[in-house]
Amino acid sequence: MKKKFSLLCIVMLVISLLVTGCGGSSAPASKSTDASKDSGVNPLKVALILPGKVDDVSWNQAMYEGMKSLEKDYAGKIKVTYSENVYEVANIEPALRDFATQGFDLIMGHGFQFQEPIIKVAAEFPNTKFALGTGYKTAANTCLYDVQLEDGGYLMGTLAGLMTKTNKLGVVGGADAVEIYRGHEAFKFAAKKVNPSIQIQELYTGDWRDAAKAKEGAMSMYDAGADVIWHSGDGIGLGAVDAAKEKKKFVLGNVADQNVLVPDYVLSGIIYNWTPVIKQMIDDILNNNFTNRTDKKYMLTVANGGVTVAPFHGLDSQVPAEVKAKLEAVKKDFIDNKIEMPKFAK
Amino acid sequence: MQTDILTVGLVSLLAGAIRMSIPILLPALGEIFTQRSGILNLGLEGIMLMGALAGFGGTFFTQNLWFGLLAAVITGITFSLIMGFLSITVKANQVIAGTALTILGTGLSTFLFREMFGIQKLPPQIESFAPLQIPFLSDIPFLGPVLFNHNIMVYLTLLLVVCSAFVLEKTPFGLQVRAVGENPRAADSKGINVTLVRYLCVMIGGAFAGLGGAFLSIGFMNTFLDGMVAGRGFIAVAVVIFARWNPYRALGAALLFGGASALQMRLQAIGVPIPHQFLLALPYVLTILVLLSVSKKAEFPAAYTLPYSRSER
Repeated sequence: MKKKFSLLCIVMLVISLLVTGCGGSSAPASKSTDASKDSGVNPLKVALILPGKVDDVSWNQAMYEGMKSLEKDYAGKIKVTYSENVYEVANIEPALRDFATQGFDLIMGHGFQFQEPIIKVAAEFPNTKFALGTGYKTAANTCLYDVQLEDGGYLMGTLAGLMTKTNKLGVVGGADAVEIYRGHEAFKFAAKKVNPSIQIQELYTGDWRDAAKAKEGAMSMYDAGADVIWHSGDGIGLGAVDAAKEKKKFVLGNVADQNVLVPDYVLSGIIYNWTPVIKQMIDDILNNNFTNRTDKKYMLTVANGGVTVAPFHGLDSQVPAEVKAKLEAVKKDFIDNKIEMPKFAK
Repeated sequence: MQTDILTVGLVSLLAGAIRMSIPILLPALGEIFTQRSGILNLGLEGIMLMGALAGFGGTFFTQNLWFGLLAAVITGITFSLIMGFLSITVKANQVIAGTALTILGTGLSTFLFREMFGIQKLPPQIESFAPLQIPFLSDIPFLGPVLFNHNIMVYLTLLLVVCSAFVLEKTPFGLQVRAVGENPRAADSKGINVTLVRYLCVMIGGAFAGLGGAFLSIGFMNTFLDGMVAGRGFIAVAVVIFARWNPYRALGAALLFGGASALQMRLQAIGVPIPHQFLLALPYVLTILVLLSVSKKAEFPAAYTLPYSRSER
């Protein structure tokens, strides 16, 4: 009996770790859309492989919508195939190879876990172009694209630091991924810059989907006196937003304008717009500029309009004019490249 | 001033522990029935996800939280019948059947959610159960905000702990459940319908798991997210074992786990100099330690995971 018991315990713990570790379900679904109607030339065939679902309210959805909007603008020039929920590393390489053999021109892997497989498969298909979402390795026929989340974090930190009355802020993140980490550090840096006496609580939930955990975490921060919290995204962000509603305190969103969720307490947030970045990338391919680019990085920044601040909507009257002026000044400094902050790297 | 901060922190921690324990306690209570009758249902995670989806869908379309709960219970029962059929009627290996049910529930809930609501820019939401303000009780210093500032589902769950303990220990049905789990042949010879009792227990487990899922989607949060149960179904199975199939001990065990989960978040937030990865693992480490310490005492039902057939010896 004891043996059975310990076996059972081990099985359960392993499974629960697995389940909490990777919330994504493993049912890849593909959808292809027809953007090319009547043009005689062959459109550029693009495959976008997403690690999550297109309606995850976050990382994947922002990219999906950015691509959809570009598809409209570039009707006839590009043809995009979407593939969702390719999360496990074991599934990535076959997916890449599959698209490459089918003759796709550009294959995009929207996540850090695509790095090694892309480098490997890119060497086997030198005529196919690959794009890697976050990471650091490149080859001749690959490029990197990423969010400069430190820009967003900096803006949110400035806003939160100026808006707090208790001098206590919170920041809630999912897993401690590279761009999330940079965003958090910039948030803390900027908040301390505008308000040196500020105290900041920080929390990672360790996954992207456990909204209940994030809600509990955000509630604990509000209980401890924080009055503005920024969340850095994904499903867990909805937990932070819901906590703000329950505790009647301000929250700042990420990725999309989340004001409609709780109009009274979602003060603002960061909005990602991937279109300028993928547009640049695809223009480079169409103009044969891709492989000879020295800078292999396409970044979503404040300067190129990829990272913007959500409007205050109904809360506009609660934001003092000097706070708005300061925020505009920071945005302008980003565009003029005058913001100084340390390089946040792990 | 210092004591004020400590009190506020403690109140927040204890209230958080209660909130975090409910979605573990509910499925654990049902699983006690299931396991007492000799069936190990590892599919709780999948049933909870289906319950979370049904609770949300039911509430969204009827605009009534109680219909949402009802939908979650019915879905939980229906889904658990798959487990019942596989483990009781077909006598399949219960570990495999349960795991399959979890995988099915994970995929199916995601799929159905997409079918029901499509791809939206922001998730659909409902108005969830609000915390009850109980006159006098909620105003008691310290105890008020800890114990009497929760939503109705929390109190219902506590009531269900008492009910479950009563049914298991004091009623003829409870005796039948225990008899079937200990010695189905003897129970059968006394005229107890082993198959029926086991089916009922699996269904009770499904109903509770459905409720547990609904607590996450409409009791605590106000929307459904795929995979939102996030391993709580498996923790519930662990809770059942280290509670040694007793509802009151399950309450304690769930509070312990909920408390560890609430504590690690607060430790992270105040910035203790421990890497957050270790803090995130704290509830699981605690689970292992507690399981190790009670495993010596755990006496499994004698017919645990053994299918019963009248014609076989």
